Amino acid sequence: MLVYWADKNIVCTEALTQSFVLKLHGPDQAATLGIDRYSYKSIKILFKGLLVISTEICSKVAKVRICRRTNLNLYEYEAKQIFANYGIPVPPSVRITGAEEIKTKLSAAIKESKLSFPLTLKCQVLTGGRGKAGGIKFAKDTAEAESIASNLLKLKINDLATQSLLIEPKLDIAQELYLAITLDRNQGCAIFIASAEGGIEIESSHNVVTSAILYPYHSYVTRDLAQALDLKGNALVKVADIANKLYQLFISLDLDLAEINPLIITKSGDVIALDGKIIVNDDALDRQPYFKGWLEKHLDGLTAREQKSKLSGLNLVELKGNIGIICNGAGLTMATMDMVKAFGGEPANFLDAGGGSDQAKTLAALEIVQDNPDVKVILLNILGGITACDEVARALVEFVDRHPKRDIVVRLRGNNQDIAEEILAERSVKLFPNIEDAVKEAVSRSHSLVK
Amino acid sequence: MILVNKDTKLIVQGATGKMGAAHTKRMLNYGTNIVAGVTPGKSGQEVHGVPVYDTVKAAVRQTGANASVIFVPPYLTYDAASEALAAGIKLLVVITEGIPPLDTIKMVQEVKEQNAYLIGPNCPGIITPGQCLIGILPGSIFKSGPIGMISKSGTLTYEIALALTEANLGQSTCVGVGGDPIKGLDYKETLTLFAKDPETKAIVLIGEIGGSAEEEAAAFIKEKIKKPVVGFIAGQTAPPGKRMGHAGAIVSAGKGTAQSKIEALNSAGVKVAKTPAEVATYINAILSPISH
Repeated sequence: MLVYWADKNIVCTEALTQSFVLKLHGPDQAATLGIDRYSYKSIKILFKGLLVISTEICSKVAKVRICRRTNLNLYEYEAKQIFANYGIPVPPSVRITGAEEIKTKLSAAIKESKLSFPLTLKCQVLTGGRGKAGGIKFAKDTAEAESIASNLLKLKINDLATQSLLIEPKLDIAQELYLAITLDRNQGCAIFIASAEGGIEIESSHNVVTSAILYPYHSYVTRDLAQALDLKGNALVKVADIANKLYQLFISLDLDLAEINPLIITKSGDVIALDGKIIVNDDALDRQPYFKGWLEKHLDGLTAREQKSKLSGLNLVELKGNIGIICNGAGLTMATMDMVKAFGGEPANFLDAGGGSDQAKTLAALEIVQDNPDVKVILLNILGGITACDEVARALVEFVDRHPKRDIVVRLRGNNQDIAEEILAERSVKLFPNIEDAVKEAVSRSHSLVK
Repeated sequence: MILVNKDTKLIVQGATGKMGAAHTKRMLNYGTNIVAGVTPGKSGQEVHGVPVYDTVKAAVRQTGANASVIFVPPYLTYDAASEALAAGIKLLVVITEGIPPLDTIKMVQEVKEQNAYLIGPNCPGIITPGQCLIGILPGSIFKSGPIGMISKSGTLTYEIALALTEANLGQSTCVGVGGDPIKGLDYKETLTLFAKDPETKAIVLIGEIGGSAEEEAAAFIKEKIKKPVVGFIAGQTAPPGKRMGHAGAIVSAGKGTAQSKIEALNSAGVKVAKTPAEVATYINAILSPISH
């Protein structure tokens, strides 16, 4: 498996002339190519240290980093650590990754009076519906905690394995609230969303209060918000203060979502974030040093190929069909999928190789689709605006030579189309100038071929 | 035509960068009137014959520029846009992809306060065929004519423009508003501009899954737009919960589906084509009785 890896800005603007496969032998050699230690570690784990890179880039690149196309979802324990960093009260806790740690880590926390029974054990998974799936249990003593822990650590929720358990005291709840900040695409701003009903899905709550966050921001809006929840006295002041801190962390860390659900008021009047969800905006990751290196441990829920694409700057979403689709541009890729379906075919994937795809990136895209055993025929649809057709043609030649038996339908049109045709003349790759003809051809081959 | 024409005097922010320089050349070749480039510290230089200034203010003072296209890295874009607005520029075209939304929010708010137009971010730009091309669109596939186009997508816009051009249906102006969830110019504003433009006889609206902008546009068309509109919605086969390339292209909690958008458009009397060629077929069917 070859993986192309380079800075996305360079990918988009450089015309690559040569590429080669490079095996990295340790962080020091990687450093000579401008690859930092954390990126090297990811290359080593995910791609067995193999790197396809152009000679030109090697000499020019100052810094190689991971290209991302998704937002970073955080585990509950990570979100709560951030809440705590910004002064939002969270319960005391310990986190364990094995049942044996009950005797060590948990016992130590109990000894220090940090925690005491009864305790709550919660699965740490990047998916919703944890409570319904049995991912939250209560324990009254060490023996029960141990047996629950060993069961929960084996639990899969929505097909995702439990990574660790967060253990917290079972609190006496007087009231549960919902409090979040997210981006509102319709209003074009961030908004507070709050409800006096917490612990449920916000979509099913009947008294949701929202407040658009405008510039300049004033913290009094959080008191208005708390009042709209019918809070009084200490509770009003504390909830408003937490909302204000939530705003501070949302803005400082470039988040798409900061959610406390439930935000509880205890019988003794404390206001505490009992559960937390944070989504970091991927486009902001490079200016948020706090999250450096976090993406690699948050790829749950993706297929192995989707993970590889994500880390090589390609947008892959896999489906169940047998026609592998590669296009440049998200809209065109979706439209091509829709046409495949409309003409009776089944798309195996969505793969947007991006605008300005060059030889190496196109080749990486072809290899990722080739790697899917369900794919009977590949449909490559490129309409060159900033994408140069000759770059695509060179990638195709390399790919066809590597996989001579692969059935592939190519629609190629745009910049440098004549050069592309010359390059492909010696290979038996037929070019379709029209999108509809190409789609029909791919669909008909997907039906007739027996692989 | 709307927003840009042969009188548009354009500056290129980030003109000395790789993307900026390459597209300055392409826009010049198309015939766009580029009067200046702006890159801090590079004044006195030229990019393909275009003089470069250190600041937007200096460029505007020397050239009387009234539009700016921004090719600067994502984290510097908000500052560049603010600079252009402060210098009195009323049309901003932001090509840059990957701007954090919290920056875009501030940018959009400032644009509104200045009564300016923002196209993008993360967009291919705008073209009035034969007069002015701003951005990265491939000029050769467009042709002057009576169709106004609005789109969230780049290459899909090219595909549909190509189908129209091949069917001898030219375009008045094509606007790529971009695929980001938070953006400047939206469907409603663009539809209003096309409605007022005497040269535009029919409008093509290209949408995709995610959000509810297409549904709102449909309601707006039903109420306010008398000119015929043909739609195209990408992402009918997209699985829920997956982000399809564009930051905004996601079906979440059953909302933002292609089906809901198509139904909304249909109920507003907008025919939604299944292929790019069908867009041209529908437009032809609508326009032929008018012209004959």
